Amino acid sequence: MTLEKPIFITGAGIVSSIGNDKKSVLASLLEEKSGIARLEYLKTGHKEFPVGEVKLSDKEMAGILGIKDNIPTTRTSLMGMLALKEALDDASINADDLPEVGFISGTTVGGMDMSEQFYLDFLSNDTKNEYIKTHDCGACTEMIADHFGTFGFTTTISTACSSAANAIILGANAIRNGLADIVVVGGSECITKFHLNGFNSLMILDKEHCRPFCDTRAGLNLGEGAAFIVLESRESVLKRGVEIKAELKGYGNACDAFHQTASSPDGEGAFLAMKEAIEMAGLQPSEIDYINAHGTGTPNNDHSESQAMKRLFGSDMPPVSSTKSFTGHTTSASGSIELVMCMLALRNNFVPGNLNWQKEADGVVVPVTSTRSNTPLKNILCNSFGFGGNDSSLLISKWEEQ
Amino acid sequence: MRKPIYIRGAEQVSIQKPLCEEWMETPIVYDVEYTRSIDPDFKQFLSPIEARRMGKILKRAVATSLRTIEKCGVKQPDAIITGTGLGCIENTELFLDALCKEGEEFLKPTHFMQSTHNTISSLLAIQTKTHGYNVTYAHKGISFDSALFDAYMQFLLGKIGSALIGGHDEMTPSYFTLLKKAGYLGCEGMVTAGETAVSIMLSSAKEDAMCEISSMRMLYSPTDAKIASTIEKMLLESNLQSDGIGAIVTGVNGNKANDEAYRHIIEATRLNVPRLKYKHIFGESYTASGLGLYAAAHCLHKREVPAHMIYEGDKEPQTGKAMLLINHSDGKTITFTLIKSITQ
Repeated sequence: MTLEKPIFITGAGIVSSIGNDKKSVLASLLEEKSGIARLEYLKTGHKEFPVGEVKLSDKEMAGILGIKDNIPTTRTSLMGMLALKEALDDASINADDLPEVGFISGTTVGGMDMSEQFYLDFLSNDTKNEYIKTHDCGACTEMIADHFGTFGFTTTISTACSSAANAIILGANAIRNGLADIVVVGGSECITKFHLNGFNSLMILDKEHCRPFCDTRAGLNLGEGAAFIVLESRESVLKRGVEIKAELKGYGNACDAFHQTASSPDGEGAFLAMKEAIEMAGLQPSEIDYINAHGTGTPNNDHSESQAMKRLFGSDMPPVSSTKSFTGHTTSASGSIELVMCMLALRNNFVPGNLNWQKEADGVVVPVTSTRSNTPLKNILCNSFGFGGNDSSLLISKWEEQ
Repeated sequence: MRKPIYIRGAEQVSIQKPLCEEWMETPIVYDVEYTRSIDPDFKQFLSPIEARRMGKILKRAVATSLRTIEKCGVKQPDAIITGTGLGCIENTELFLDALCKEGEEFLKPTHFMQSTHNTISSLLAIQTKTHGYNVTYAHKGISFDSALFDAYMQFLLGKIGSALIGGHDEMTPSYFTLLKKAGYLGCEGMVTAGETAVSIMLSSAKEDAMCEISSMRMLYSPTDAKIASTIEKMLLESNLQSDGIGAIVTGVNGNKANDEAYRHIIEATRLNVPRLKYKHIFGESYTASGLGLYAAAHCLHKREVPAHMIYEGDKEPQTGKAMLLINHSDGKTITFTLIKSITQ
């Protein structure tokens, strides 16, 4: 079913290890400057794992946002506020507009960064009770939203690493139904000891820089960040006279229904999600100019995703890369962080490189190894897959008025 | 012309007798601040080996889902959408507790693997071998409503013809203690804090339907004028006049601030109809609103409102009419769901 009317992207904001706004992220992508480095901000004993941390402390972020010391916040909400600010400014949305604007955010970790610091206090004394309330996912979304005013409606998606992508899908459905004209969608997630240790216990973290799709790949690097995009109906775009940055032309959501933490050998969920997105856009697979892969760098994901791409694209494989080689795996936020990178690629005519790739692996696609500039792109597919086989794919296109 | 959305089946595991509607006639009455659900025999749904690997929240979700599927005959719904306020909090706590007390050296993956919120929805997909749309919402007291809203929009777009919607939350004794400190549960005068497992099958096919969902909205910190205009739109979409609504279903729970917020919202709707309650039966939990919809659907289906559900109002609730469900979380996020009787 193709879209009955277009959905436009009129703004975007991003915070990540390769830059805290679109301009610096673009520069890092073009210069192939990775943000993966030694642990600096998270207090953990696992210093052996490189990570893609946002290069700001909580205190520094609160300072930029003008939030006082005595207000309880979480790292996820602080990063989210920075990204949301850029997105709202980019789309010329101010506080007076917000009551008619929806806000949907994705997170899984939520306020776990504070819970893991204060859990023993929660159990034994009353000194940190204010952080019990900041633990859950919904609390993070409301903290981000409330910093700017009163949105028309808000909710939170939690589908692990595809959370932000699914937030984008829900927002698009709201616009198509006429239940909103503008919806700000995306996700935010900080690195915590909780999931660093969880991923470590599953033995899927690499002690070297991650190498998506490479024969020597040995796991992922965790990253963090936030990104939000502004989805808007044509009527609203015309009324407000804002610039169209890209068109959200298709999206797909499917479940691998295979295993809680592993992907199926044939990538069925990934295949179905990409197929749905392309069909909705009314395109042929051959019309896709670039795939921003989920590409975590784990042996399992990259093989499964490759199988899905090979099934769908056959010998007509478009350029593929995983920008997780720049940022690490930003988990719940990855769907929107990577979609913003796709918007940058679309508007600046380049294919981001898949850093650190060395050697072709059996049954695995060969990615674009270095950033290709001066490459005009029209249609980009962006994949986000989560634990539980929650697989989603988004398709954005350059907008040309017919 | 909007295509109707029907509720075809609704099942619960809660602090009432599981997988049945005995609460309508003879509800179990509690006088404690916190209690856990009454579990059914899981052997009907899971092999002992499968059950051993699952936390309570997962076993209950399988039980309510499979029973709903069995009753409705929709084996593979087009969408599986779950709401959960805290997700698999028992496994989350076990991993967090070990991390904080024993450090980072010897953690095992078992609890982490089942700690993410979407474990429930994905387990249901694996159990039913369903590759369709699968999403999980985690937004405080509107987690279930968000799942319903998602399905509602996809029905309107014609993207789906059936959806299994769930509301699932477990409550451990230790987490209850924390939420009591935070003032969310166990306050003076408040209903028992409980647990929720509720599954509802939505379908565009009318066959054996219990009621119809005719309109839904979610709002955030709305003005009174916005509430009034929203209700007007919902009535219009449902082909109803304001006298077509037989009752308002509220989530009053004895907590002063919570109940006051309901009073304010009801006033803003400008509807003067009898008000019902359900949390005195099922207790409070993040996804209790799912039990509110479950209870209201059964009332409309059986054309009967148990006397113990009447909260306030001058008139008798009318079951041949529509019901407006109001839910809010901290008075900030507010949802309205309009359901219609289909018996007339």
